Amino acid sequence: MEQSKMASPKSAPKDAQVMAQILKDMGITEYEPRVINQMLEFAYRYVTTILEDAKIYSSHAKKSSVDADDVRLAIQCRTDQSFTSPPPRDFLLDIARQKNQTPLPLIKPYSGPRLPPDRYCLTAPNYRLKSLQKKVSSSAGRITVPRLSVGAVSSRPSTPTLGTPSAQTVAVSTKVGTPVSLTGQRFTVQIPSSQTTVKSATPTTPTVQNVLINPSLIGSKNILITTNMISQNAASEANPLKRKHEDDDDYDNL
Amino acid sequence: MGIQYLHNPFHSVLSMCITITRQTLAIIYLQALSFIYTDVIPLVYLDTFAVGGGVPVEDQPDVSAVLSAYKQQGDPALYEEYYSGLKHFIECALDCHRAELSQLFYPLFVHMYLELVYNQHENEAKSFFEKFHGDQECYYQDDLRVLSSLTKKEHMKGNETMLDFRTSKFVLRISRDSYQLLKRHLQEKQNNQIWNIVQEHLYIDIFDGMPRSKQQIDAMVGSLAGEAKREANKAKVFFGLLKEPEIEVPLDDEDEEGENEEGKPKKKKPKRESMGSKSKKQDPNAPPQTRIPLPELKDSDKLDKIMNMKEATKRVRLGPECLPSICFYTFLNAYQGLTAVDVTDDSSMIVGGFADSTVRVWSVTPKKLRSVKSAADLSLIDKESDDVLERIMDEKTASELKILYGHSGPVYGTSFSPDRNYLLSCSEDGTVRLWSLQTFTCLVGYKGHNYPVWDTQFSPYGYYFVSGGHDRVARLWATDHYQPLRIFAGHLADVTCTRFHPNSNYIATGSADRTVRLWDVLNGNCVRIFTGHKGPIHSLAFSPNGRFLATGATDGRVLLWDIGHGLMVGELKGHTDTVYALRFSRDGEILASGSMDNTVRLWDAVKVFEDLETDDFTTATGHINLPENSQDLLLGTYMTKSTPVIHLHFTRRNLLLASGAYSPQ
Repeated sequence: MEQSKMASPKSAPKDAQVMAQILKDMGITEYEPRVINQMLEFAYRYVTTILEDAKIYSSHAKKSSVDADDVRLAIQCRTDQSFTSPPPRDFLLDIARQKNQTPLPLIKPYSGPRLPPDRYCLTAPNYRLKSLQKKVSSSAGRITVPRLSVGAVSSRPSTPTLGTPSAQTVAVSTKVGTPVSLTGQRFTVQIPSSQTTVKSATPTTPTVQNVLINPSLIGSKNILITTNMISQNAASEANPLKRKHEDDDDYDNL
Repeated sequence: MGIQYLHNPFHSVLSMCITITRQTLAIIYLQALSFIYTDVIPLVYLDTFAVGGGVPVEDQPDVSAVLSAYKQQGDPALYEEYYSGLKHFIECALDCHRAELSQLFYPLFVHMYLELVYNQHENEAKSFFEKFHGDQECYYQDDLRVLSSLTKKEHMKGNETMLDFRTSKFVLRISRDSYQLLKRHLQEKQNNQIWNIVQEHLYIDIFDGMPRSKQQIDAMVGSLAGEAKREANKAKVFFGLLKEPEIEVPLDDEDEEGENEEGKPKKKKPKRESMGSKSKKQDPNAPPQTRIPLPELKDSDKLDKIMNMKEATKRVRLGPECLPSICFYTFLNAYQGLTAVDVTDDSSMIVGGFADSTVRVWSVTPKKLRSVKSAADLSLIDKESDDVLERIMDEKTASELKILYGHSGPVYGTSFSPDRNYLLSCSEDGTVRLWSLQTFTCLVGYKGHNYPVWDTQFSPYGYYFVSGGHDRVARLWATDHYQPLRIFAGHLADVTCTRFHPNSNYIATGSADRTVRLWDVLNGNCVRIFTGHKGPIHSLAFSPNGRFLATGATDGRVLLWDIGHGLMVGELKGHTDTVYALRFSRDGEILASGSMDNTVRLWDAVKVFEDLETDDFTTATGHINLPENSQDLLLGTYMTKSTPVIHLHFTRRNLLLASGAYSPQ
């Protein structure tokens, strides 16, 4: 990148010249000009933080002025906090030795998508639906599909809404009698530990279903169904969630 | 040397500087952190780091144990004299011994310098460095640059690579005659100090035979820990391939070749399978089928294999007369943000990992990417119909591109699973994420490395994957375990590249300490150490027959290694910049390499491997005289306009796909 676009070295402030010199000494010849700005910013921010910390330590020790010990302590604390470095080699060798002693676990056949326990996956819905005050005539089959983890934006279009365009969030309840199965042969139903089982779903309980299908399996159609049953007390939940009416609509409009 | 990564608060600075070559990018931050020029901040740091008579800083127990390896050895002021004396002796030695003894210069220089620094003789250290750093070999320049900024004891504490260097013994391979000469000289009384240092920090691997020439030595040295001891490369490695399972192929197409089930009479005339060995004898070099547990073959996998075999029959036979066609996928408007690329085995999808922490998947066939319908729609479809697998896919949202959000840092590595159901991506945020390619959502985040993860790859059979990162270890994971199954520790600096062997029993890792190691998945042992590169390794490729490994690094050379014997068998010179992509053709006849110098080069792999002389001496000592035949082996150089090549892939029919991001200058 051209350096002529930024302040030429002659008229750059002294600090910027020093940064450019550091880069040159380290053998870095190609860099965007804004790197120097970022380095300066970092240097100033770091030093300011250290000095502020040192002032705090010094006043804590009831000293009249900040001295080298305070600064040293401030640096040490910041290093442990922000600038951690990877574990030392002997520690790594030690844990490696421990880990490598256990034999490789056998692989269970026919276990569908091989994922860790649900707790460690990002497949659970990260929101709850609140139930309606008034009873909703559930349209069979119209169930909400949760967005999966916060960061993963599904590229599906807006999922079928909950049947009513009202401002109140509607939780549609659909009883899931038997889990969906194509050949009826094999299916896995996984239910998060804290919730009720599928069979005991009541019509007013909002259900949320998460369906992951592995269609490339031929012959044995495995379906993983995660059912999250939320039993809610409308009364207790309505109040804290009331203020979220407007926000919930946003999900549908994404 | 190595990549020092500093956590928050400057992720943004880090991402900006991805334009700088990776190996140097964060060295400057090390310096910014621990060493600010006195012009900028006069009083604070001078006083802080002035050690003279100040209060001693409390060392953590393990660090001080490590650093105490540097006990005072003699008078610091005399270090220059010791070194000069040794230098004089070596320069006056016989020609045949001089090359070998010159290997001593670098490790001794570094260790003596670090000792001076640790014992807080800053001025002596600086003058020692000034005087002798110019004498070192050119390929150590990067290390020396980092060393030049380590002037105080505190600087050494945060630098893990430096600490590892000090605690590990630098390995030198010297012939017996040269060693005797050296020993005799150093055991004289006035050279006692150097002898102590040599004994403490160097490991001299003695071999019987002719001393090596400078050229031979230069080919093998360069790594941070010297060369590899011969014992390190003696373990038996099962480099053979696993037997292909028998699959019954429906012989309904004419001219079709398929593998028969043995012993079963077929209605149609049985056709011989031409690829894959039909012998019932176990290949002695192949690992037993059950050495490591592998997932069973599902029906879809069997179908995939049948497709593979069908395509293999239409495969073009490559060779010096028949070079592959190259199809280049250029990423436009990436603004230097493209950091990782992968292509599925059947070449139907391409994934790009970007510095803005997104992962983008494209379909390169006319068939668009479809995700599974929502649960609401799924309950509406007829489950008994024959084409239910098409019906569960959502046509409304089919598109050529799907973007996956989830990482919070640049994505440095991506890998498709062999069954095309999953995608892995690893990032600077320290996690490896598993994405489903049916729902295009993230399934799992594997946390283990707490530092940037530089590379990840699925095993050729699926289920296992390996990742390597800044914490200097590589980890083996299984998709259904949230913790790693194996930890491969031993590298002195970041693990920059990780690859599975075709039989999934071994993992090769390339590192910023300029070595390549081969690890056994079964027990985590390091079975091979390959030294010879002069820069961090950025690409690895196993040959399809599993016998050879090709490695590419920032020095622009591609080195070829025989895994069974543990020897370097080839050196391909030609590239002028980092080699970021290496791939063997499907039958191993051609090696393609792609580099930052905007070229793709094709090399004749058959010729390299056929003239191997492996007599006893070579196997015993590991010394090979490599002919300078890079020009003969080069079959073609293909230049792009201004696009560094970061990924190469041979389709099943031996068409070469290359990809990179257009970066105009």
